[in-house]
Amino acid sequence: MMKLNKIKNVNSIYTALIFIFLYMPIAVLILFSFNSSSSTNTFEGFSLRWYRELFNDAATMEALKNTLILAVLSAIISTVIGTLAAYGINKMKNKALKNGTMSVTNIPMMNPEIVTGISMMLLFVFVGSIVNSKTILGFGTVLIAHITFNLPYVILSVMPKFKQMDRHLPEAALDLGCTPMQSFLKVELPQIMPGIISGLIMAFTLSLDDFVISYFTIGSGFETLPIRIYSMTKKRVTPDMYALSALIFVSILILLIVSNVSSSDNKEKKVLTQKQKKTVKIVLASTFGAIALLTAGLFISTSMTEVVTVNVYNWGEYISDGSEGEDGEPITDVNAEFEKYYSKILSEKYDKKIKVKVNYTTFASNEDLYAKLKGGAGGYDVIVPSDYMIERLIKEDLIQPISSRDEILTAIPDYNNLKDQFKTPFYDNGEDVYSVMYTYGVIGIVYNTDYVDEADVGGWDLLWNEKYSGKILQFNNARDAFGTAMYKLGINVNSPSVQDWENALNVLKEQKPVVQSYVMDEVYNKMESGEAWIAAYYAGDALSMIYNAEKHGVNLDFYYPTDASGNPITNVFADAMCIPADVSKEQKEHAQAYINFMLLVDEEYGSPAIANAEYIYYASPNKLVVESDDYLASLDGDEEIIYDPVIDDNITELFNTYAYRNLSNEDLATLNKNWESLKVDSSNFNVSIYVISIIIALAIIAFIVFKYVQKRYRRRLYWNNPVTSKQTFDFTSTMTKISIPPELRAGPKEDKK
Amino acid sequence: MNKKSLLQRAAAAPHIVWSVLFIVAPLIFVIYYAFTNADGKFSFSNIVELAQPSYLEIFLRSVCFAFLATVICLVIAYPIAYFIAKAKPKTQKILIMLVMLPMWMNFLIRTYSWMALLEDSGIINSLLGSEFHMINTAGAVILGMVYNFLPYMILPLHSVLSKIDFRLYEAASDLGCNPFFVITKVVFPLSVPGIISGITMVFVPSISTFYISQKLGGGNFDLIGDTIERQFQTAYNYNLGASMSFVLMILIIISMTIMNKYADDDGGVII
Repeated sequence: MMKLNKIKNVNSIYTALIFIFLYMPIAVLILFSFNSSSSTNTFEGFSLRWYRELFNDAATMEALKNTLILAVLSAIISTVIGTLAAYGINKMKNKALKNGTMSVTNIPMMNPEIVTGISMMLLFVFVGSIVNSKTILGFGTVLIAHITFNLPYVILSVMPKFKQMDRHLPEAALDLGCTPMQSFLKVELPQIMPGIISGLIMAFTLSLDDFVISYFTIGSGFETLPIRIYSMTKKRVTPDMYALSALIFVSILILLIVSNVSSSDNKEKKVLTQKQKKTVKIVLASTFGAIALLTAGLFISTSMTEVVTVNVYNWGEYISDGSEGEDGEPITDVNAEFEKYYSKILSEKYDKKIKVKVNYTTFASNEDLYAKLKGGAGGYDVIVPSDYMIERLIKEDLIQPISSRDEILTAIPDYNNLKDQFKTPFYDNGEDVYSVMYTYGVIGIVYNTDYVDEADVGGWDLLWNEKYSGKILQFNNARDAFGTAMYKLGINVNSPSVQDWENALNVLKEQKPVVQSYVMDEVYNKMESGEAWIAAYYAGDALSMIYNAEKHGVNLDFYYPTDASGNPITNVFADAMCIPADVSKEQKEHAQAYINFMLLVDEEYGSPAIANAEYIYYASPNKLVVESDDYLASLDGDEEIIYDPVIDDNITELFNTYAYRNLSNEDLATLNKNWESLKVDSSNFNVSIYVISIIIALAIIAFIVFKYVQKRYRRRLYWNNPVTSKQTFDFTSTMTKISIPPELRAGPKEDKK
Repeated sequence: MNKKSLLQRAAAAPHIVWSVLFIVAPLIFVIYYAFTNADGKFSFSNIVELAQPSYLEIFLRSVCFAFLATVICLVIAYPIAYFIAKAKPKTQKILIMLVMLPMWMNFLIRTYSWMALLEDSGIINSLLGSEFHMINTAGAVILGMVYNFLPYMILPLHSVLSKIDFRLYEAASDLGCNPFFVITKVVFPLSVPGIISGITMVFVPSISTFYISQKLGGGNFDLIGDTIERQFQTAYNYNLGASMSFVLMILIIISMTIMNKYADDDGGVII
């Protein structure tokens, strides 16, 4: 008895440990959703701030709505097609056809998600190239992808129901005078209903949670919740996402508890009466119907009123976004202000109510943007690439002129807000104007003053300093990472020599062991929390990091590397707003309005140019901004860093010496090849992992061989072969259990009674 | 009779058309891209490129990581699936619900939350006042895989174990088995189908993941998934990405065939 108790205790402790493991991260995110600061690793006090911000976050709410619409639509369509298919496949007489169909059906379930995702992307891109459309990726393609991966699950949950059904039933119905259609609707359909419902619910949940496949098939102007979470986890901490997850968690928990309680109530009564069964059915049907109607309603209501949509694709953390400022008051939401402003203008112009909507999505590097544009996920009206990328986009005809230089003031009335030296930058000084500068700045190094010796500070070498091994962050994009190496070596960053790139690669490979990780916008988190001490990044973001870190008691500083006489040796860059080539004439007008709005300094609309400059800390090329006293006051003495005279006075010259230029195709290929080679280079060949794997693999093989030999030996011992019981494993039921709690399945239980 | 068969044939038609268009055709595109170069000409150059030591190491690393994650999942999940299966029906229901609950949360955000836990200045270290270096290690990546895919191992195991007739245990004990042999000789062989299914459901997503290795490995442990993702999302080298996916597919087909064969030998049938 003692022993048994002991075993039981061990069991419960073990179970408890596993559940702690499963719930630890969830507990963390629920706890930190109540954090008063934006830190994700130090709890600084209780507040409901992130819940408030969540409900004010229009983009997240929009993503939530999109996800629901997508899930409902894909679930319904795949259930209809899948049920019909299960019916047809079950009735197939031709064995080969039947097996063939089933194996093809199972492919999306067996294939890794990433392969399914890219295979569909390749198809869509191909179709896009045939119909010559750059905007093929979008809601439609994601819907198709979701239906495709939902289908096998629907078929696999409906199919067994057809198999279980007495096949004489439909025959009897036919004999009694039913048409085949009637026999299907009145006799077979009710029998398979539980399978259909579980298939529907499974398809719904799968689609709701899918990230990988959506990630590859999604286009501009449409964002699902998982995709939004993905792009947010690439940026600064986002406790409002934690808040959302906490809400989802609690609501599912409540749902499960309620269904659990109600189902155990039912059990006591043992058998459901006919009437109760009907009620359950009605409740289920009406719940799903309500969701479907709601989404349909949302869908229609958005398409009924006339809406002008502007799709903007910008860098992460690169606009004043309406989040809460230091004083707890929300800062200007520039996109919302634009919606208000432009809706008013349009409504006056056309004399009817026109709604304006900005679809604002973000990218992490110029190369990401390029891959998106080139890969068929167009549909953006305004993009914000950097200098060298603009050169390339112009060359490849991927962007169109905003207007000719003579008529720029008709297209962009506030164009003259730009300082003159920023009107004809090196990448765009022809007869047409392709770009309107958004910000400019330098690349420099942010470092943690508590850990980094002042003596080590000054040059690019800090990024290679072994003293700080494991605390250094490097850019996660080819151009900037190679830039740091080439500035360090004193090589021209636009060098046509393969040898130069090779040298830079070797230096970067040398650096790899001391690098903590390769990051883009993740840099905010890692530097502000003190997780990393040294990072090369863009000046404006660096300042923003310094201010935020200060709040958590982490002291950061910034410098740009200089030569002995104090001349900068670093990249000077400009980011500018452009209009992609595939934007229609009508959309172009809206795009121009958006670009112009970014230059505006007008109190009535929250002075977008100033609001942005205050929020993102990059240098503004806008005269009115730089002259604004409020703005200068808000910088609190940092204007010397942002508008460093050494940089500002020589900006044109610096652009000509240190800016990245568009590389020739050969050099670009070299760069990409070298980058790939750096990324796959293994600085940390982890011997122990391989040794352990091999030992375990050998042990398993030895075990199998041993079993096999034992079996053979026994077979020889006994005259008869031992009877092997072929146990079949019901995959569908397992899958159903995995995705849907048994309580939610209106499944077989009902059936048996 | 003729009319009926027409309806039957028509019923599966939309699905067949759909499958050909959106399952078969895309796979043909993967193969097409895998065996052509950037100019669209037939070539083996991508496959040859994958034979470089650095890519071979990525494949090796992915297989090892996924393999270890699968083994760890199996070792952790088996006892707990067994305990759950032996619990009272009501407790069983609650426990299974608790296993499934985390899966309803977005896996990106849960992985992100592990980042906050494991960092050098993270929650674990600040709670314990210790200085363990956990993030950006191979262990962290494998931990992420185990964490994310553990329920996929527990659930099929539980589903098989809970179906085992309880009288078999009694019969085995009556016939002189001690508890150890009851498990190794009776329970384990009967649960092989669940094990196989669990292994597939953990191994395939582990070997192709890219988010986990990016967040918990800090970009130092490139897996197949990362490399494919990079080709499509930043490097714009579809051909290399497609050939990598092609090899991944072959890799998975091979391992599944081996496993199916073993399962058949042992009396289990999967999927």
